[in-house]
Amino acid sequence: MHLQTQMTVNKISDQIWEIPASEKPGMLVPARIYATEKILTSMDSGVFEQITNVACLPGIRRYALCMPDGHWGYGFPIGGVAAFDRDTGVISPGGVGYDVNCGMRLIRTDLTLADVAPRLELLMTELFRRVPAGVGSKGFVRVNRKEFAEVIRHGARWCVERGYGWRHDPERIEERGCIPDADPSKVSDYAVERGMHQLGTLGSGNHYLEVQVAADDRIFDKRTAAAFGITGHNQIVVMVHCGSRGFGHQVASDYLKLFEQAMRRYGISVKDQQLACAPFRSQEGQDYFAAMNCAANSAFANRQVITHQIREAFSTVFGQPAESLGMDIVYDVAHNIAKVERYPEGELVVHRKGSTRAFGPGRPELPEMYRETGQPVICGGSMETGSYVLVGTELAMRDTFGSTMHGSGRTMSRAQAKRSVRGEQLQQQMARRGIIVKAVSMSGLAEEAGFAYKNISDVVETVDLAGITRKVAELRPIGNIKG
Amino acid sequence: MTSSFRFLEDIALADSAFEARGGTPSELFTASALAVIETLADPRTVDPALTKTVSRHDHSLANLLFDWLGDIVYLKDAEALVFRDAACTVSGGRAGGEWRLEGRLIGAPIDPARQDLRADIKAITKHRYEVRQDKGNWIATVVMDI
Repeated sequence: MHLQTQMTVNKISDQIWEIPASEKPGMLVPARIYATEKILTSMDSGVFEQITNVACLPGIRRYALCMPDGHWGYGFPIGGVAAFDRDTGVISPGGVGYDVNCGMRLIRTDLTLADVAPRLELLMTELFRRVPAGVGSKGFVRVNRKEFAEVIRHGARWCVERGYGWRHDPERIEERGCIPDADPSKVSDYAVERGMHQLGTLGSGNHYLEVQVAADDRIFDKRTAAAFGITGHNQIVVMVHCGSRGFGHQVASDYLKLFEQAMRRYGISVKDQQLACAPFRSQEGQDYFAAMNCAANSAFANRQVITHQIREAFSTVFGQPAESLGMDIVYDVAHNIAKVERYPEGELVVHRKGSTRAFGPGRPELPEMYRETGQPVICGGSMETGSYVLVGTELAMRDTFGSTMHGSGRTMSRAQAKRSVRGEQLQQQMARRGIIVKAVSMSGLAEEAGFAYKNISDVVETVDLAGITRKVAELRPIGNIKG
Repeated sequence: MTSSFRFLEDIALADSAFEARGGTPSELFTASALAVIETLADPRTVDPALTKTVSRHDHSLANLLFDWLGDIVYLKDAEALVFRDAACTVSGGRAGGEWRLEGRLIGAPIDPARQDLRADIKAITKHRYEVRQDKGNWIATVVMDI
């Protein structure tokens, strides 16, 4: 087996690999990577270097973990999971990412492919008109600074109270769409100015809005799928991938800078400047936590306003209220976040960066409707392949701090992807395969070609076999909107 | 030498990186700004409709460049602007004194119908971030989160 590292990597099982704590000076715990042998050999050297750097951070518990969609990131690898003692451990913006609460939302419908296919072009045009995407796009919800402070304090709840959602929507969002420990006084004016006009916008890069089909033969667990509102029979669903936009990006930048100075005060040294951190209990740590929660709430609000616009678009195209089209949220998950969660060793600050919470049955954090099944986990693939709905398990609670994969993971640089295909060419190829793509930037579209990503099915199989989530359904794209 | 930049492919798989060069700090700052500008939009499609001025000072030249590039990202989000050109004067820095930047950005409000918009930069990062002098030239390596 040829790996992109000289480190010792021991096989624990067919899906779990461990780098012992003796491998690098300063490692406090071993690092564990979830991967098949095929995925492990394709992982870039950054994964091994970065996950062992994470294992050196003060207060880390059990393992530094990396999921099978892992690849190089800033500080933490993408796919990284690490839990720190609340009293003696740290919090790190590098363990959350620049796009705080980047996440996935899935909306179901009662429509089928037969209903939508004749009007798909019209539907995608309407969605593209209503959901702004691309560089510097502005949303239709106009708020002043005072109102924006309420948005970032109350998240999706603010939206629902103003008519951008249904009363029961927050029940179907992680943290019910509003993280309580959010303090707007801890965010800079610079951050507010970057984000206050972007409510309800997708952004660009790998963010998207996708219309998908749930076919009978791609539902792997009919009972759980039904509990999630996924009924098959070529049912139409809508997936949204976006985050906290310029506001969250600036919160991360502001606190990375602050933490560089704070580390000197607290005598903390890290292997990589992007791992800058502060004790969770310190003033700086608490300030970042409060600011990061504001950014997380802004992302919940962003996806809520987009949901409102999706419902309006469907209502316009199909001439019926969204309620009668059954357009309920299945769930909304964060995959870039740090949260305080309870485990057998006590309260831990769990960082997930490009990793999704995957709580199993019985956890009190889950809404009543999912407490028996475990939570829905929404994983986006590339725009040319499928996406998946998984379900959290008890094994995840035991082995991975209730965490699993988030997507497929990139394997090719943006420049190389652009050299391999032109945006217009890709758009035509996808149209021939029955996928309508609307994009603001054709070069941005080329960068997101399917061949630039790992095969998501391989990644999903790994977490399914490892037992940290189970497959519920695969969703096939028929329409995509990109920035 | 005059200012120049080139994009680097091997540094950030999912993102974008560049190396900028200049014979003086002013040239380096101008070249770096042009690389950020070109990442956001094709500058040939952006009209010279307005000018934004930026004044900053810092004891660290590296921090000054970092903040200057951050200003372009800020203006993209806060004022919905993209640019076609940049010019700056960097002075001071002698005997440990402060460096001073006077920068000008020439561009226009974002208009997808008229401009070839590219990638929405989330942040200028500190990953492998470096400003150095080599044989009389100023060189910066910058990675941008996309």
